[in-house]
Amino acid sequence: MSDDLKIVGLLCNWCCYGGADTAGTARMQYSPNIRIIRVMCSGRINPSMIFKAFQEGADGVFVGGCHIGDCHYDAGNYKWSRRSKIVEDILEEFGIEKERFRHEWISASEGEKFQRTMEEFHKTLTKLGPLELE
Amino acid sequence: MSYVLAKSQNNEILEAGECGGAVTSILKYLLDEGLVDGVLALSPQDDVYDAFPVFVTDSEDLLKTAGSYHCAPTMIGDLVQKYFIDKKVAFTVKPCDMRAVEELITRHKINRDNIYMIGLNCGGTVSPVSGRKMIDLFYEANPDDVVSEEIDKGQFIIELADGSEEAVKIHDLENEGYGRRNNCQRCDVKIPRKANIACGNWGAEDGWTFIEINDEKGQELIDGAKKAGILETKSPSDAAVEGRSKVENIMIKMAKKNQDATYPTVSEMTEWSRCISCYACRDVCPICWCFENCELNKPYFKDEANIPPVPIAFQGVRLSHMSFSCVDCGQCDDVCPMDIPVSLIFDKLQKKYYDRKKKQSYEVI
Ligand SMILES: Cc1cc2nc3c(=O)[nH]c(=O)nc-3n(C[C@H](O)[C@H](O)[C@H](O)COP(=O)(O)OP(=O)(O)OC[C@H]3O[C@@H](n4cnc5c(N)ncnc54)[C@H](O)[C@@H]3O)c2cc1C
Ligand code: SF4
Ligand code: SF4
Ligand code: SF4
Ligand code: FES
Repeated sequence: MSDDLKIVGLLCNWCCYGGADTAGTARMQYSPNIRIIRVMCSGRINPSMIFKAFQEGADGVFVGGCHIGDCHYDAGNYKWSRRSKIVEDILEEFGIEKERFRHEWISASEGEKFQRTMEEFHKTLTKLGPLELE
Repeated sequence: MSYVLAKSQNNEILEAGECGGAVTSILKYLLDEGLVDGVLALSPQDDVYDAFPVFVTDSEDLLKTAGSYHCAPTMIGDLVQKYFIDKKVAFTVKPCDMRAVEELITRHKINRDNIYMIGLNCGGTVSPVSGRKMIDLFYEANPDDVVSEEIDKGQFIIELADGSEEAVKIHDLENEGYGRRNNCQRCDVKIPRKANIACGNWGAEDGWTFIEINDEKGQELIDGAKKAGILETKSPSDAAVEGRSKVENIMIKMAKKNQDATYPTVSEMTEWSRCISCYACRDVCPICWCFENCELNKPYFKDEANIPPVPIAFQGVRLSHMSFSCVDCGQCDDVCPMDIPVSLIFDKLQKKYYDRKKKQSYEVI
């Protein structure tokens, strides 16, 4: 399982980060390409952070937040969800496949969903290969 | 919403005004009654191709601002938010200016209670340099002899000092790369309905201004100016109202056709490869009001070593901040030293985002 694909994962403290933790404690296997950055809420993620990650060499960027209705701060994930649309729209215009950017709602108990999502995302990125920015 | 034809009761204004001098009269009424601290309008410079915004506080000075100047836009919204935030001001807006002001109101940069927005319908503007060239090439006239320009029935018409008129089809001009600025060719907002009133020559008889009253404040303006004895009004005929809406629809259709033709052809990455990160497009943009504290200047994005800058970390960031609010004023194209069609790219994304919003009504996934 050694390849150079780099995934930057921005995970909210209250749900998805917990999900990753659950996957870890349960020793669920998934590709080790993800570099996790913990944020307090998906609502504090802005598109610039995604772009910065790509600029710095990420091949894929993953955002994980609480399920709709479960956000610790009420509506942060809803706001993020809207923002994510323009990220997709913009990436396309810059020759970055929008599949390189993914977001999911994963709760702290959903270790298995975290594992599955990482495996899927890794597979997608393997197909796409490393990102070459012009 | 209702319609009136209006005409100035002041002969000098009627003479100097583009149509019925209604706009200048209403501005004079606002100043004379002390309803505003000042008025922002345009004052022509050396020729009809160029005009500067001026802040008028004495209604005597309004006369030299009367008339229509088909030059590039003038950042009216930006000026109001920068210099007149605490003042009561009235100003004229084309639809793009109106949209910029609306965006700035949303961002709490302009207080709606402090302003009067006098809208001007707009068929398009012409860049000063290419405008002069165009007169020379297509009209075989001396650009300095032109006293006014007008767009009507698909033609670009100029009036010369001796009173004669010359007309050329807009299509013919624009096919050759002249005519209206590129963003104006795409612009599908022709009547500024979020201004208090929208004034124009469409549907107007000679010597009158056709006014669409958009809100209560607009109605108060007309009533007040009439009461002050500076404006007279009458009702337009049904045929005039219908004719006006027909022209509007034709213009919008033309714009949509242009959008369909230009959006797919722009190759963003090729265009951005010429960028020299001069920030001129950002500094001029009315929506980028926060440029003094711009994210692009933060240490984590500032990248002076790279020319061109990594597009996603430069224009990508700007696009993500404000493209959904782009008002397609085209000022970024005007200032780009590398002739990058910046507004086309921003406007395209604005439409893409907006269309998706319409289709999916933002379903949360
Ligand atoms: C670029 C442009 C295109 C237009 N195209 C159409 C059209 O296609 N159809 C239509 O029905 N009407 C159009 N109009 C509106 C029309 O030309 C008249 O401005 C309007 O009917 C008001 O006439 P008036 O005699 O009452 O105005 P006036 O009394 O002459 O006052 C006009 C006011 O507008 C200000 N002004 C002039 N040029 C500009 C500018 N570029 N930006 C902001 N303020 C300005 C002047 O300083 C003045 O205060 C256009 C106007 C402009 C400026
Ligand atoms: S991006 Fe360009 S066209 Fe859009 S609002 Fe800003 S200056 Fe105007
Ligand atoms: S790019 Fe963003 S931060 Fe910079 S001026 Fe524009 S909107 Fe403000
Ligand atoms: S004005 Fe042109 S060259 Fe300057 S930063 Fe904008 S796109 Fe780049
Ligand atoms: S706290 Fe998890 S998305 Fe807001």
